[in-house]
Amino acid sequence: MTSEEIVERVRTSLGKAVLKGEVTLGDAVVHIAPESLPRVARWLKEDPDLDFDYLSNISGVDYLDLDREPRFEAVYEFHSIEKNHSIRLRVGIGEEHPSVPSVTAIWAGANFPERELFDMFGIAVEGHPNLKRLIMPENWEGHPLRRDYPLTVEDVAFSFNRDYKKELVQQKPPTR
Amino acid sequence: MGVTEQGLLEREKDTMTLNMGPSHPSTHGVFRAVLEMDGEIVGSADPDIGYLHTGIEKTSENKRYVHVIPMTDRLDYLNPPGNNLAFCLTTEKLLQIEIPPRAQYLRVIHCELARIASHLVWLATHALDIGAMTVFLYAWREREMILDLNEEISGVRMMTSYIRVGGVAKDATPPWLKGVRDFVNYFPAKVDEYEKLLTQNPIWLDRTQGVGVMSREEAINFSMSGPCLRGSGVDFDFRKKRPYSGYENFKFAVPTRKEGDVYSRYLVRVEEMRQSRDIIAQALDRLPVGDHKAPDNKVSLPPRDTLHNSMEALIHHFKLVSEGISVPRGETYVPIEGPRGEVGFYIVSDGSNVPYRVKLRAPSFMAIHGMCEMMSGSFIADVVAIIGSVDIVMGEVDR
Repeated sequence: MTSEEIVERVRTSLGKAVLKGEVTLGDAVVHIAPESLPRVARWLKEDPDLDFDYLSNISGVDYLDLDREPRFEAVYEFHSIEKNHSIRLRVGIGEEHPSVPSVTAIWAGANFPERELFDMFGIAVEGHPNLKRLIMPENWEGHPLRRDYPLTVEDVAFSFNRDYKKELVQQKPPTR
Repeated sequence: MGVTEQGLLEREKDTMTLNMGPSHPSTHGVFRAVLEMDGEIVGSADPDIGYLHTGIEKTSENKRYVHVIPMTDRLDYLNPPGNNLAFCLTTEKLLQIEIPPRAQYLRVIHCELARIASHLVWLATHALDIGAMTVFLYAWREREMILDLNEEISGVRMMTSYIRVGGVAKDATPPWLKGVRDFVNYFPAKVDEYEKLLTQNPIWLDRTQGVGVMSREEAINFSMSGPCLRGSGVDFDFRKKRPYSGYENFKFAVPTRKEGDVYSRYLVRVEEMRQSRDIIAQALDRLPVGDHKAPDNKVSLPPRDTLHNSMEALIHHFKLVSEGISVPRGETYVPIEGPRGEVGFYIVSDGSNVPYRVKLRAPSFMAIHGMCEMMSGSFIADVVAIIGSVDIVMGEVDR
């Protein structure tokens, strides 16, 4: 199916769950809300015409500097191995207690990228079987890929200027 | 833990926890797995990653597009051209520019050489893990030739950064093309040599056949990609399914095997080396003449000799060097087929000369969970065979 057909099919079948469907630079892109993710994801996998059986990637984005609402976004890329087409699912997540439902029950491969999403952006993934930090140490403070995570300091234990650095972390200087 | 009447330590459970790594020669980097052992059988494997975290995705948000390219080299350090290409293709898609055919062919040659080099490292280390020392030395010998070719064209042996936004860094010279041609003629006999040592070797067969089996459905469900997917009988290769950078012009086969074990992944990769060699041979035969980078001065530097007599060229040169490329607002993702599978960058651009968000889809990162599922139920001696057959590179896992 072409990207236009995919977006059209998703829009007609899911109705209100689709906040926006578009084709950008040739890619089929569908925006949805976090609460409709499990239903949409399962439908995408089980629909015989779409057959999105392969989860390719989950990216987190923090739109703080672009002043966009909602602040966070989880971006899912799906491929269909048989049909050889793709879709991008963009899930906007609010700033207050950011959370998104897990899709590990639908694609087992989502386990690691969802943990990374939690680790790097502090987005809680509800229903994840093993939600703990993946790349950063377990006692790490903060979520490094958030845009307000301070770049100019590093909070290293045993550092001689630890108190000074703590202060800097609290001040949260601009990232760039 | 209590003490029994005989004064022996009482065990709470019948399993033993075994720590593997992070510095273990067979984990190919700094990968740690906590194995729950039931005798000699692995009950479960709990992966622990992050030892090689360098924050490249975060650093990329503060560097210009051109400056991100050398960092992508360091992600999957066995396949730097593939990472460069994935990043450049995504940026070029946002910029909506056309790449001249000669640049595309040079990119293909460079990427396929890197695929062969990467598979040689995989073969060498994988065979060494299982106990075949000779293959290690043979494969390293051929890899050295590819690294010499890399050095000749880009000045660097491994982290080439040869592929740039808009084309390639510099045009291929006749001596280099001859060097590649010599390698292409020399290499097939060497692959036969590796196969003579391993493919029918009873020890090799015992150690690899029926080990680390992953079914077709599991491979898709666990988001395995590349040779792991094709070794499980899934005929999926982005070079064939969604050709990029002119791969539609080449004739090559996509090897697949149904068994899904370590041996089938071995056969798939060995055959891929032959196919890559064929692609390079075709690219050399039909290498088009013309520009090696897009003639768009907003993207690629004007030729050096024009700076002395063209004001415009001088201005473009100055702007490109001091400010860099400005990429229009938008976000996109372009998958390519690396040696380990699907490599792709999801880039969000805010319209400036610095990417707003760069996310790498790393095949090794996605494969680790599936790899640990493969380990559970296998013998402890097979763990190294399984890790070797999945061919993880920790640089792109931890990023």
